Parts: sequence; C-alpha cells; structure tokens
Amino acid sequence: MNAAAQAPVNADRAADGVPTLTYRNVVKRFDSLTVLNGVSMEVRHKEVVCLIGPSGSGKSTLLRCTNGLELIDEGEVVFDGKPLPRDWNGMRRMRRRMGMVFQNFELFPHKTALGNIAIGPMSVLGTSRERAETHARALLEKVGLADKSASYPFQLSGGQQQRVAIARALAMEPEVMLFDEPTSALDPETIGEVLNVMKQLAEEGMTMVVVTHEMSFAHRVADWIVVMDRGAIIEQGPPRQIFQAPTVERTRSFLSHLGWSG
Amino acid sequence: MNFDWSVVWRNADALLEGVELTVLLAITTMAISIPGGIVFALMRLSNVRVLSAASAAFVELFRNLPLILVVYTAYYVMPVATGLNLSPLTTGIVALSLNVSAYNGETFRAGIASIREGQTEAAYALGMGRWQTMKEIVLPQAIRRVLPVLASTWVSLFKDTSLVSVISVGELAYTSMRIRAQTFRVLEMLTAMAAIYWLLGYPQAKLVDWINRRYGVKE
Amino acid sequence: MDLDFTPVLDSGWFLLGGLGLTLALSVLTIACSLLLGGALGLARCYGPGWLRWPIVFYIDSMRAVPVLVVLVWTYFALPIVTGVVLPPFWAALVALSAHISAYVAEIVRAGVTSIRPGQTRAAFALGMSRWRTIRSIVLPQAIVRMLPAFGSILSFTIKDTAIAAVIAVPEYMNRSQTVAGQSFHPIEVFAVAMAVYFLILFPVTRVVDMVYVRLAHLGRS
Repeated sequence: MNAAAQAPVNADRAADGVPTLTYRNVVKRFDSLTVLNGVSMEVRHKEVVCLIGPSGSGKSTLLRCTNGLELIDEGEVVFDGKPLPRDWNGMRRMRRRMGMVFQNFELFPHKTALGNIAIGPMSVLGTSRERAETHARALLEKVGLADKSASYPFQLSGGQQQRVAIARALAMEPEVMLFDEPTSALDPETIGEVLNVMKQLAEEGMTMVVVTHEMSFAHRVADWIVVMDRGAIIEQGPPRQIFQAPTVERTRSFLSHLGWSG
Repeated sequence: MNFDWSVVWRNADALLEGVELTVLLAITTMAISIPGGIVFALMRLSNVRVLSAASAAFVELFRNLPLILVVYTAYYVMPVATGLNLSPLTTGIVALSLNVSAYNGETFRAGIASIREGQTEAAYALGMGRWQTMKEIVLPQAIRRVLPVLASTWVSLFKDTSLVSVISVGELAYTSMRIRAQTFRVLEMLTAMAAIYWLLGYPQAKLVDWINRRYGVKE
Repeated sequence: MDLDFTPVLDSGWFLLGGLGLTLALSVLTIACSLLLGGALGLARCYGPGWLRWPIVFYIDSMRAVPVLVVLVWTYFALPIVTGVVLPPFWAALVALSAHISAYVAEIVRAGVTSIRPGQTRAAFALGMSRWRTIRSIVLPQAIVRMLPAFGSILSFTIKDTAIAAVIAVPEYMNRSQTVAGQSFHPIEVFAVAMAVYFLILFPVTRVVDMVYVRLAHLGRS
C-alpha cells in the first residue's frame, strides 16, 4: 500500500485509552411510547459490544441515538469524553467520526461501488477525487471486492453490497462502527462473508457496537454482550456468562427461543 | 363541392413557421418549468411552514384551473399588474409556465418523497448535510424516477401550446386558422392542421410509451 | 388597480346559465366517454385480434392531437364532409367524447391487465365462463384500481369544456368572455371565473381520492 492510502483521511481522531461511548440514563420517546427507558452502559476503546434482545426492545433506537439519527429526550450520550450535541447541526460533525452500517445496506444506486465509498470523503471531508478513489480501492480490496469497483449496487449480491457498505463507512476513518442488524436481510449463504469482514475489523481493534441476532458471532467475537428488553437493559456481561450462565430468566427464555443451547 | 388541397402546399412556409413557434413555446416552457417544478417541490418539502403552504397553494390552484382561462387571465392581468406591455408570446409562455410548473411541482415532490428514507439516513450517517444529501443523493435518483411522468407532461404541453392561439400567438393552430380565414378553404386547412399535429404528436406519444416501459419504477 | 365587481353581479344569471351548460356538457361527455372508452378498452383486451390495431391507432391518434383541434375540426370541417351540421353544444359533445374516450380506453386496459393472471386462472378452475370471470372477478377489482385515474379524467373533462368556448358553445368560459368584453372589466370577470372553476374542480379530485381510499382494499389481490 502506498503512502497516500495509508495517511489518515480524517483528521479528528480521539486519543487511546478513554471509554469511547458512555450512555447515561438515555430516554427516548416516540409520541406516547417510551422506547428507551433510562439505558446506561459503556463501550470501551477497541471493544466489540453486541446488543441482543427481542424485537422492539430498543436496540436499533439506541444505535440511532448514538449517531444522532434520532435525538434523545433525556439523559446523555458521552462520546470521547464530551456529551453529544442536542441539535442536528452539531451532530453533523460528530457523525463523521462514527460509521454506520444499515440492515438494508442503503448503497446509493446511482453510483458504482467505488463511487459509493469515495463520496463520503469527497463531499464531507473535501478530499480530492484521486486520493478518495485510491483509498476506496484499498478498502474494496480489504473487504475482498477489488474486482467490483466499477459495479453498480444492483449488479452485486446482498453480501457484496453489505461489504461495500462497510467499506463506505470505513472510508471516513471512524473511531467507532455502528452495525444495525447487518446480516438480517441477507441470504444464509452470504451472511458468512459479511461476518468475516466484521470479525477482521474487530481483530484490527475497531470499536464496534453491533445489533445482531447472529448469536454464534456474538459469542465468538464480542467482548461484551448487552441484553435489552422493552427499552431497558436486563443483563450485560462477557459472552461466556450471558450465553452459558445467564442470570435473568428473560434472557434465558429469549436465548432458548432462538434455539441457542450454549 | 370542390376541394383545393394545394392551399396547404402554397402556405407551407407559414405553416412551418407555426410549427417552429409551437416547438419554441414547448421548449421554453419546459426549460422554465423543470427548475420551477423542482423549486416548488423543495418548498413543499421544506420545514418552513410558510414556504410549504405557499407551494401547496400554488400547485393546487393551477392544477385546478382550465389552462385556457389562465391564458386569458394572464393576457388581461399582466399588463395591469406589471405595467409592461408584454407581447402575446411572452404572456403565453408565462401562462403555460405557471401551469406546467405546478404539475411538475407535484411530480417532483412525489418523486423526491419516493426515495427511501434509508438513503438520506445513510448519507447523514456519513456526515453529509441536508442540502448536500439532497443534491448528491436524493435529487439524482428522483430525476430518474420522474422521467416517465415528465415525458407525459411534455406531450401534454406540446398539445396545450395550441391554446395560446386564442390570444393571437402565431403558433401552428393560430396560423392554420388564419390561413383558413383568408382562403376560405375550411376542410383542407383544418385537416392539414390536424394532420400536422398528428405527425408531430404520434411519435412523441410512442416515445413516452417506450420511456414508461424502460424507466418505469422497478423496485 | 381598483376593482369593480358589479358588472359580474349584474350578469349573474347570464353567467350562471353558462355554468349550467358547463356542468351539463361535462356530465354528458363523461357518460359518453365512459361508455365508448369502456367498450374500446374491453374490446382491445378481450376482442378479436383484427380489432386491436384500429383501436390502438384511434387511441394513439387522440393522444397525439390537441383537444382544440378536435373541437374545431368537428364543428367546422365535419359538416363539410358529412353534410350534417351540428350545433355548437353537440359538436362539442361529440368532439370531447371522442377525445376523452381514448384516455378512458387506456385506463381500462391498464386496469384490466393489472389483475394478476392467477385470479383468472382460479376463476376458470372453479368452472366459470370467460364472460362470467370478466364480469365478477376481473372488472370489480379493476374498476377500484382505475378510480384515481377516472378522477383525473373527470377533472380534465371539466377543464376541456372551457375550450369549447372557442367554437361558440355558450358555457361558462364563453359567457365570461362576453361579459368581459361588454363590461370592460376583464380582470374582475376572469377572477370570478377562476374562483368558480377552482371551487368545482378542487372538490372533484378530493372526493375521488376519498372514495378510492375507502374502496382500495377491494381492489387488492
């Protein structure tokens, strides 16, 4: 890899050793429905935290509150030692430092794979086209899709699209990656290729918050598991404890419903 | 009863000028009304209540008025309202543009709204701003979406240019009927007028069908 | 600009008469167009093959030519060809119906072909005849789907009657022109005309939308 691709494209990087994300009593309401009811947890630097739990438990909402796609009503989210701004424009700067991968990939259909990855740095960071595209090519190679740079999303399989989406988020050189059920919309055959990319990212030390139903992935890759139900955290701990010896009944019944036998 | 079809060939030059003006009217109006439509759509979708309401009112008004009435009203109101002595051609373009911009406003609004929310979220998640997202992600996709509808609107516009003949704009309909009045060759001129519109309009209608087949929404 | 609406009020009954004619022409045109257009659309979908080409040609031709041209030709040129002189109102009815039935035929075709073939197959499997299937299974669903498009046909028809003013049909637009010319207050007259047409057209599309929303579930399969 040449020097241009190695040099960080994003200049706002945090220092090592600080808990990256801290949630304190986060409350989020939609009209009369309270979706997050005082959630408190921590995501440490280079950690992989998996959020698991039944549908409607608020996992995705918590993720979306993290990068400001939803604004919280009460409590605070502390990122890199500072509380997140409460307004949309303030959050805009923060979003550059976080990457998000969506369940439905949400690649931009009118751009090629290369274009999708390059557009973030080009339009948000003002990177030159040449530098952005070189960096994009390197990222495509990293996710195993070097030969697909000129392909459009509709020409790619679900798993390939999601890998491009991961590369697109990585192009901004984020400090934390947020995954919102990244494999839920994929055919079983392609889930593996996406999980492998995520595993590789974790091994390289990326801080990750992953909402997922893929329990074996959570068991093998996560450093910390958070179990949510109906807007609250009912249990959290290392994978070994959660999956083999859960202390809360609700956790046990949720896991057994998924066919998880430990 | 004798028919003299040569009257058509003898006045071919004038008829051709009429066709040119028809085409000019349509192109000018569309050139104004595509940006016009985008502006009204963005106003309608904006968070500023006044802009949104103003756009909705404008679009609803012009979609619910006969175009011929708008043409006449423009003809009488504009000299008084602007104090200028505008030519019938300009007045005609104004009336047509108001009408088509209103239709395009609704077309673009529906097109923009049809772009999945996830697209804007993905753009925001990268750190893009609202206007950036609109410019780079939403509008490019919306334009492809609305292409079939715009094509239909174009064909309607092309036919509607005939209505400005009532305020003496020298497009095809006015020219044909003027020649009819001068030569008294009613059947020949009116049939020629219909035939020329048919020759111009038939391929356009077929093209619209093709565009609908090719670019119709596949999701 | 000082406005004086008294000429409009003075000619109130005159204008109202014109409005009545607008509505009458609209209703009759719709009725004729639905009949003719429905027949054309169904004939195109279910009729013998040799009918298809002339019907398509007719529909596409009507889509290519402006309403004004059809109106003018029907009123001035048709008598020369057929020897039959139609008074303005009836000429307008013939012209508008001919024009709009083409659009109705297209809507019918689109509505009928949007019904999944599985529906007709299921009906045949139950032993229904072709005609029975069309009448009880395809058409009811198709008609619900066509409602929004019919709503806009209704709207277009009312707007197109205003063009009939050009061939001296004394409907509302024509009479407004008369009053405007006589009173030298065109702005007031046309402002009122705009209000009148808006007040008629605006509810029409709203009502059709409401009816469609109520019935939409009947058309889903």
